[in-house]
Amino acid sequence: MVNTSHSSSGPAPEASASTGAREAQLTTWLVFGAMTAGAILQIWIPPGPTTLVAATGIASLVVLGLSFVVPGRLRSTLSGFRFTSSLLIALAIFAILGTLILQGKPAELYRAKYPAVAGLILALRFDDIFHGLPYAGLMALFGAAILASASLRLPISARRAGFFIAHVGLLVSGAGAAASSMLSVRGRIDLFAGGDVAHQVRVTRNGLPTGAFETLPFQLKLDQFDLVNYEAEYRIGYYEKARIVRDGVVMDDYKLKTSFDPVKVDVFNPKADQLPDLSRHRLPGGDSFRLKAVYPDFEVVTRTAPAAEGAPALLVTLAGRSQWLQPGETVVTPDGGLAVAFAEQRPAPAAGATTSVLVSSADRRVVVWRADGEASQPLAEKLPLLGGAVRIEQLLPHSTRGAFYQTRSDTWRNPAVVIETSVNGVLSDTLATAAQPRGVFLRDGRSALVFEKRDKEVKAFLSHVTAGQGPSMVRAIISVNEPFDYGGWTLYQVNYNPEDPTYSGLEAVRDPGVLWVFVGFALICVGVFYMLYVEPRLRGGGIDRQAPAAPAAS
Amino acid sequence: MLQYVFIEHPFFAVTSLLYLASTLAYGLAWVSPSRLPGRAGTALMVAGVALNTAVIVGRWIEAGRAPFKSLFESLVFFAFCIALLYVVFERLYKTRLFGVAAGLMTFGSMAYALTKWDAEIVKLPPALQSGWFVPHVMVYFIGYAAVAIATGVAVVQLLSSRIPFVHRLTTMKAGSVLSGEPLDLDRISYDAVRFGFVLLTIGLLVGSVWAKSAWGDFWVWDPKENWSLVTWLIYGAYLHLRKVRGWRGDRAAWVAIIGFAVVMFTYLGISMLPTAEESAHVYTGT
Repeated sequence: MVNTSHSSSGPAPEASASTGAREAQLTTWLVFGAMTAGAILQIWIPPGPTTLVAATGIASLVVLGLSFVVPGRLRSTLSGFRFTSSLLIALAIFAILGTLILQGKPAELYRAKYPAVAGLILALRFDDIFHGLPYAGLMALFGAAILASASLRLPISARRAGFFIAHVGLLVSGAGAAASSMLSVRGRIDLFAGGDVAHQVRVTRNGLPTGAFETLPFQLKLDQFDLVNYEAEYRIGYYEKARIVRDGVVMDDYKLKTSFDPVKVDVFNPKADQLPDLSRHRLPGGDSFRLKAVYPDFEVVTRTAPAAEGAPALLVTLAGRSQWLQPGETVVTPDGGLAVAFAEQRPAPAAGATTSVLVSSADRRVVVWRADGEASQPLAEKLPLLGGAVRIEQLLPHSTRGAFYQTRSDTWRNPAVVIETSVNGVLSDTLATAAQPRGVFLRDGRSALVFEKRDKEVKAFLSHVTAGQGPSMVRAIISVNEPFDYGGWTLYQVNYNPEDPTYSGLEAVRDPGVLWVFVGFALICVGVFYMLYVEPRLRGGGIDRQAPAAPAAS
Repeated sequence: MLQYVFIEHPFFAVTSLLYLASTLAYGLAWVSPSRLPGRAGTALMVAGVALNTAVIVGRWIEAGRAPFKSLFESLVFFAFCIALLYVVFERLYKTRLFGVAAGLMTFGSMAYALTKWDAEIVKLPPALQSGWFVPHVMVYFIGYAAVAIATGVAVVQLLSSRIPFVHRLTTMKAGSVLSGEPLDLDRISYDAVRFGFVLLTIGLLVGSVWAKSAWGDFWVWDPKENWSLVTWLIYGAYLHLRKVRGWRGDRAAWVAIIGFAVVMFTYLGISMLPTAEESAHVYTGT
């Protein structure tokens, strides 16, 4: 944003220094004067969008008008680089203050949060700093500076076009922003899928309802609302204990630092068959882990195997289902009519069963017992009984029985993993299921591994709406970043309720100034580029050689 | 931690080491009469850029989105932008004098990423699933990198008038200076700021357009927005002040340094502000 240009054959150094000093003095007076006048007038005029726009516009024109009629250096000062620089710094300070002081909050909050300076903040209306008169005073000087410097640079030429484009852009976007501030209406529309048709907008300001309503020139109906989550995924999360502040309270909590995929993923071919990642991984805390097994559809089964010692075991098939029995155990058909009982000595018949097959391992005999009598025979392998309803398969004189993990299928329905951790070289295994995620704690609980399912992250929320009046109805889908323009209003997707999948919260905005804001933005971008890169070339080379350092033009 | 990074994220580790090695080589070029250290510095920096690209692309593919969501990801990208832009500057101005500054910033960014380690890939919330996301972040970070380099030059410029050794470096014919010509540090710094300012302008306005499409308001006085405006205003003041007598040279260098301090606060310090809770711009992983 180059202002007035200077030639190398400017005033003598002494005169320049004196001119510069006067200009610096006037700049100081103008900037502080504008802020002070604003602060005083603010006693009677409360801050607000209208205050900002009206005060900026009026003061800008007054200052500009005075610069043309008041003798002295007012106009040249306004159009000078020193003045503009000072103004930009002052505006930057205001922008910073607006981030140090909460904006638009109730007075009580300032008294509680900033007890020492709350009175000053409220008196100077720094609680609404960007709508106050001191800020308006600076903006007025900014507007006057742009117009004053433009007036000194007429007529427009290719060598100075960048200045005009950028500064016209600033004025256009400023005017658009003023129109937005004064004329725009925004508010909320709460819709329910299949519910009532909306006819009006609940007007808000700074996100809070004003109590006013604005009638829409059309009807709006929510046909369907979709809450789309990201695809569920299973991860081995690595958490570290960290000190955090929650609701003002300092506490220790586990924070996710990284996570590992339990399967090897080929990023270039994600649809390829996924194999378990059984490699050892180093953890940030210095420990390591590996997955010893991955079960996509986890279940626990018991298995019996021969052993050198231990209790005997009998494999029997009853009603088509085979299973191992240990001494003292009985298996019964679903209807309870037929039972097989196994013991070292002859077992008792099963209660309630009309027929019991009694197997004893010590004397290796099988007795078919009925209420009206029994028959005995030696135990043999693959021995069919009762016409094949029972089959004695195998007797192990000594056996072990244990629980074994397996997967029912390759579908990730009930996944579990066996995590082998290594802490200071000590290995330990833990079964972790995603259905009941629990931490595998490391180093006295300072960190933990958790096998977890992630399926709660929202990817998108979409409102399928119908808008229109009478026979002309339009259907549209509104989502975040994809607003819907209709009837002079723009509808934005802003809210949903995870507890109520039929609810959709829309923001409705009618903003006649926004187009001009964006036109201004485009002009600023083009102008700045032209000014900094095209103009120097048009002037024939060096960037600064044509505009040597000098005080503002006289 | 280092063991974990080397084993689980070797590209990240090697990229950091390349930047560190490049810094050392560039530093050696300051004192060596041979051209070899300088050339090695350039080669290492270029290799760092290549590997840094691989880190970013790899994460992009793995995450299924641009890797600019968390502070960790952005620091890795920031290092890449500085290194890439520095290599271009080195060719453009035919000097390796600023290699140390660029190397320190790239390695510093990677080292800081290590302290903010967040290898976890976070899903993009709906608001960030926008076509504006990538251009907005890229333009801003290249702009940040440009003003970072401008600051590096400004520091050398200030030191050059105070420390004879640095002054000799800016005028020496062998070693780190490729052209053998004295360097116009003020001009180089200005060029970098000018380039950065154009990008900061585009980034600010693109962000505004995006905010409008996402929330219905092009400016919501979010702390990050405000501080982005502050950086723009400071560099705007820098460009204006250069036209005021007495505001080039050391004074301009100081303004460039202050501007970069504001940039760094805008980038890393927003979470410290009392208004940060209401900001939509605070990084995950801070």
